[in-house]
Amino acid sequence: MGNRLVLKFIILLFLICLIGFISKTMGLNSPQIISLLIFFASVFATLFFWDFRVAIAFLGIGALLATKTVDLENLIKFSSLEVILFLVGMMLLVGLLKDSGFFAWIITIILRIKNLTARKFVFIVSIMSALLACSVDEVTSIVFMAAAILEICDYFEIDPTPYIIISIFSTNIGSTGTVLGNPIGILIASKSGLTFEDFILKAFPLMWVCLLITIILVVFWYRKPLKKLEEKIKDSQANEILVRLISIPPERELKLGLAVFGVTLLFIALHRRLELLWRLETNTLLLSIPLISAGMVMIWRWQKARSYIEKDVDWWTLLFFLLLFAKAGTLKYTGVTEVLAKKISYLVKGNPKILMGTLLWTSTIGSSILDNVVLVAAFIPIVQSFKTLGFFLSPLWWALLFGGCLGGNITLVGSTANIVALGILEKETNIRITFFKWFWVGLSVGIVTTAIVWLALSSPFYR
Amino acid sequence: MKVKEVMTKELISIKPNGSAKDALDLLFKMHISGLPVIDEEGKLVGMFTEKDVLTYILPSYIDKVGRFVYDENPKSIKKKFLELGNIRVSQLMRRDVITTAEDASCCEVARIMLTQNVRRIPVLNKEKKVVGIITREDIIKSYAKEAGWGTD
Repeated sequence: MGNRLVLKFIILLFLICLIGFISKTMGLNSPQIISLLIFFASVFATLFFWDFRVAIAFLGIGALLATKTVDLENLIKFSSLEVILFLVGMMLLVGLLKDSGFFAWIITIILRIKNLTARKFVFIVSIMSALLACSVDEVTSIVFMAAAILEICDYFEIDPTPYIIISIFSTNIGSTGTVLGNPIGILIASKSGLTFEDFILKAFPLMWVCLLITIILVVFWYRKPLKKLEEKIKDSQANEILVRLISIPPERELKLGLAVFGVTLLFIALHRRLELLWRLETNTLLLSIPLISAGMVMIWRWQKARSYIEKDVDWWTLLFFLLLFAKAGTLKYTGVTEVLAKKISYLVKGNPKILMGTLLWTSTIGSSILDNVVLVAAFIPIVQSFKTLGFFLSPLWWALLFGGCLGGNITLVGSTANIVALGILEKETNIRITFFKWFWVGLSVGIVTTAIVWLALSSPFYR
Repeated sequence: MKVKEVMTKELISIKPNGSAKDALDLLFKMHISGLPVIDEEGKLVGMFTEKDVLTYILPSYIDKVGRFVYDENPKSIKKKFLELGNIRVSQLMRRDVITTAEDASCCEVARIMLTQNVRRIPVLNKEKKVVGIITREDIIKSYAKEAGWGTD
C-alpha cells in the first residue's frame, strides 16, 4: 500500500514536471504556465487520489488566487454557477420522483413484459436504460435499471453480468441524447449556446443509431448467455411472480410526481421558443426551468424541502464541478487555451474535419480513463478559442459531447454509471468483473459507436 | 455521575472470526440488538448489530431507490440469510466504533448517544481494554435514581 502511494506520487511529480517542461518550450508566460500546471496537477491528482478530489480542488483554487493567476471576480465568473444551479434543480426533481415511486413504476413496466424472450429483454433493457438516462440522468437511471435486472435475473437464476453491462452501455449512449442525460450535456449547452431543440434534432437521432448498433453487437457478443436465458424463460412459463415482486406506488403521488416532471420536461423542450417569444437570452429558460420546478416542489412539500436539499443534492460532486470549472476557466483567462488552439490548428493544418475527428477520438479515449466532466471542462475553452481561428464550432461541440459520453463504455471505470452499477453487482452477487472481461466488449462498442458518430459528424447536417 | 458507576460490567462479547449466524443467535437469545466484537488480545475491533445484518441481507441499492416497495421478499434475501452461517462477524461488523472512557460523565455519553445516534457505547479503560458497556437504559436509570424514582 505504502509503495503504491509513493509510486503514485512519483508519477504525479513526473507528469507535472513534464507539463512544466512542455509549457516552457511552448513559450508560455508565467501566469500561463502556473494555470496550466495547477490545472493538470489537479487533474492527475484527482485521477490518482479520487477520494481526495474536493480537497485537491480547494488547494488548486487557493494556489491560483495566492499566485495572482486569476482574480476573485473572474474566478466566480468561471465557476459556471448557472450549470451548478441547473444540476441542483434537476437533482431535487429526481429526489421528488424517487419519493413518489416513479422509478418503481418504471420497473414494474419491465416486469410486466408479456411473452418475454431473451432478445426482447435485451431490447427493452437497452431502450429503457437509454431513455431513462436521457430524461433524468445516467447515475439515477443505472441504479434503477440495475435493480430491475438483478430482480429478474434472480428470478430466472441466471448470471446478471451481461445484462448489467448491456444496460451500462445503453445508459452511457442514452446520456448523449439530451442536455439532461449527463452533466457534460448542460455544460456544453451552456457554453456553446446549443439549445434543447438542437440536442433533439442533432444528438437524439444519432443516439438511437448508436444504440441500435450496440444492441446488435451485444446480442451477438452475449449469444450464449442469451440462449441460456431463453431456455430458462421457456421452463418457467409466465412471469406472474415477477409482477408481484414490486408494488405499484400510490396513484395520487405518482400522478403528481409525473405531472411535475412532465411539465418541467415540456418547458425545457420548448425553452428556445419561449425565449424567442419573450426576447430572453439563449438558454435563460433552459437553466432556470429546473429551478422554478424545484422551487414549486419545495413549496408543495415544504416540510420535506430541507431534506430534499440536504439529501438529494450531491453537494460533494457539485462543489468539485464548480471548482473544476473555475480552474478550467483560468486557462482561458491566462490565454493558454488560445495558444493551445493555435498549436492544434497548426497540427491539423487548419482542416476542420481532421480537427473534429481529433477532438472526437481524443475525448473518447480521454473519457475512458478520466472523468468526462474533467475532460470536457478542459476542452471547452480550447474549443471556444477555435472560433477566433475561423473554425465552425457546432461539429466540435457534438464531437466533445459524444466523445465524452461514448468513451465511458471503453473501460469499467469510464463513467460514474459504470462504477455505480458494477458496485451494485459486486455487492449483490459477489461477481467482480475483471478489467479485460469488460475491456474487449467495451472497446468494441466504444470504437464502433464513435466511428458512427465520426461519420455522421462529417456530414453537412452537423455543420 | 460517572460512566463506571452505571455501566454494565458483565460484558458479553463476540469474536471477530466467529460466524455471523452464531452472533445473530446470541443477539436473539439475549434480547439485545448489538454486541461489541473483541479480538483474542482483548482489543475492541468493532460492533455487530442487527442493523449490520439487515444492511447485508437487503439489496444494497435500497437506500438509493426511494420508494421502491417489494410486495414479496426477493429470493436474494433468503439466499443471503442462509449465507450468514458462512460469513464471519468481521465481514459484517461496523469498524468505526464510538467509545467512551470510564471517567466520562453520563451527561457527556448521553450527548454522544443523541448526536451520533447510537444505542450502546463500549467503555474503555486507560489501557484501551473494554471494561464494560453503557446503554441508553443505564443512563436513564441513573437519572431516575438521582431523581429519587423507585426503579428496580
